[in-house]
Amino acid sequence: MESHQEIEDQAAAFLARRDSGNWTPVDEAELEQWLTESTARRVGFLRLEAVWDGARRLRALSAGLPPGAVPPPGGWRRTPFFDSESSPPLRDGVPASSLPVQAVSSQSGKWPRKRLGLLAFAASVLCALGVGAYFTSAPRGDRYSTPIGGIASVPLADGSHLTLNTATQVLVELTPQERHIRLEDGEAFFQVAKDPNRPFVVEVGNKRVIAVGTEFSVRRTGDDMRVVVTEGRVRVESGTADGAAGSSQLGTVRERKRAVGASTEMAQGRRPGEVFLTPGSVASAGDDGVVVEQKPVSEAEDDLTWRHGYLTFHDASLADAVVEFNRYNAHKIVIQDPAVAAIRISGSFRALNYEAFVRVLGAGFAIHARSTDDTTTLTR
Amino acid sequence: MDESLDSWFKREILVHEKSLVRYLSRSWPNRQDVPDLRQDTYVRVYEAAKKSRPQSPKSFLFAIARNLMADHIRRRRIVAIDAVGDLDALNVLIDTVSSEHRASAHQELRRLAEAVDRLPPRCREAVWMRRVDDLPQKEVAILLGITQKTVEKHVMKGMKLLAQAFSESEPVEGSQGRSDRSSTKSKI
Repeated sequence: MESHQEIEDQAAAFLARRDSGNWTPVDEAELEQWLTESTARRVGFLRLEAVWDGARRLRALSAGLPPGAVPPPGGWRRTPFFDSESSPPLRDGVPASSLPVQAVSSQSGKWPRKRLGLLAFAASVLCALGVGAYFTSAPRGDRYSTPIGGIASVPLADGSHLTLNTATQVLVELTPQERHIRLEDGEAFFQVAKDPNRPFVVEVGNKRVIAVGTEFSVRRTGDDMRVVVTEGRVRVESGTADGAAGSSQLGTVRERKRAVGASTEMAQGRRPGEVFLTPGSVASAGDDGVVVEQKPVSEAEDDLTWRHGYLTFHDASLADAVVEFNRYNAHKIVIQDPAVAAIRISGSFRALNYEAFVRVLGAGFAIHARSTDDTTTLTR
Repeated sequence: MDESLDSWFKREILVHEKSLVRYLSRSWPNRQDVPDLRQDTYVRVYEAAKKSRPQSPKSFLFAIARNLMADHIRRRRIVAIDAVGDLDALNVLIDTVSSEHRASAHQELRRLAEAVDRLPPRCREAVWMRRVDDLPQKEVAILLGITQKTVEKHVMKGMKLLAQAFSESEPVEGSQGRSDRSSTKSKI
């Protein structure tokens, strides 16, 4: 009878060969044959397969890392996934403990130099600042920013926590009356500590998002704002501080409710230009008004998978998906053919791995990609 | 391959491996026998589930483990006197062990990350690049400056080491003490 070790070794060999991509129907038949011969082999195989599949969960820790960059051991503790639990104290705006970025050696001309260049540049800037960080942040007083494809974790003195997405810049001002964040560019996720004496205000142009103790994200595109609430309640104000001028500027609040799981709570606030958002609300605020869509919280959270380095699309047009990818990558994807732009896709993709995304499109939709140094153009 | 049985087995049985191994380690005098006991338990559970799925998979798993050990003890009386005590003790241990709380997804991810950190450096890099970045084996080989065959070897080693990490907990005092005292090794 085979020992558990012999079975494990054999199973690992099969799994590794299958994982390598060099796997043919002949191999598959060989595996089936091997498995059928004893249940001990089958359970041994399932055991290793479960472990290997489970190791995929490491992806939750990959935000901010370009493909091929392996964080040093322990580096994952600084990811947003864990950081809000164990945020180190800030000293002069700099996280107290930090780890160096591991250099990735490349011996291939195939590996785009630009991406390595960006990583190396970021690392050198951070080292110059005396901070070798897994994530980039510019710890100059109260202003924090991230480069394209970057992500930063910013704990605030009041116990709140900010997670900055790609190409984002915020200005943080905490006063005894108010906790004020100006979102100058990009997108951030806010975990607001309860403080009834000090409203937490996120300012985007002439709009404000006000919270007391809650979790939500705000994204700025030009003067437009998009808010997704996952916990608690926030108030969105638009226009000037006095409601009168606000009403004419804001226009009407249009509500669009989804049939399934929609909440019937009225979002319209007491004053004109004021809207209340609850968990699952996705609000888009422009100059001509606020549109609120109510979704189940789990769906709203799909908007926030960028915190783990992923973009999630539900029946999105390829045009919209490409706009998203281009936020995270200096290398831009371009679509000129309207038919290609209209293709609908769903799925979860590594934000920094646009090449894998393009590969999937090629395989699934027969889309061809033509690349230069700076762009990849998609055609049929 | 019976797809749903295999999925069920992974989801309802393999998920309890750490608890199972802890139970076996505490109950059986010889730690070296534990992986074989584990395997034999799984085989019995799988075979039984083929005919009909147990209502409470975890209780079933532990009951099978207990019966398996009892069978071994009954069949082979060549076991040290102070090795196991009496069979009833096995029942008590099931209750304490199976009332453990399931770790949250957060804790599981932390354990995974820590286990991966303990892999040898090159192995760890290969596992990360394959599992997280989905880089083709060829690219991983180039980035690490090794052959594709070696990448495959690292993947093999990585999954075995991770399986071991998820199976074992900290050494259990009870069983170690007993195995020291026992004058005869039990042979399964």
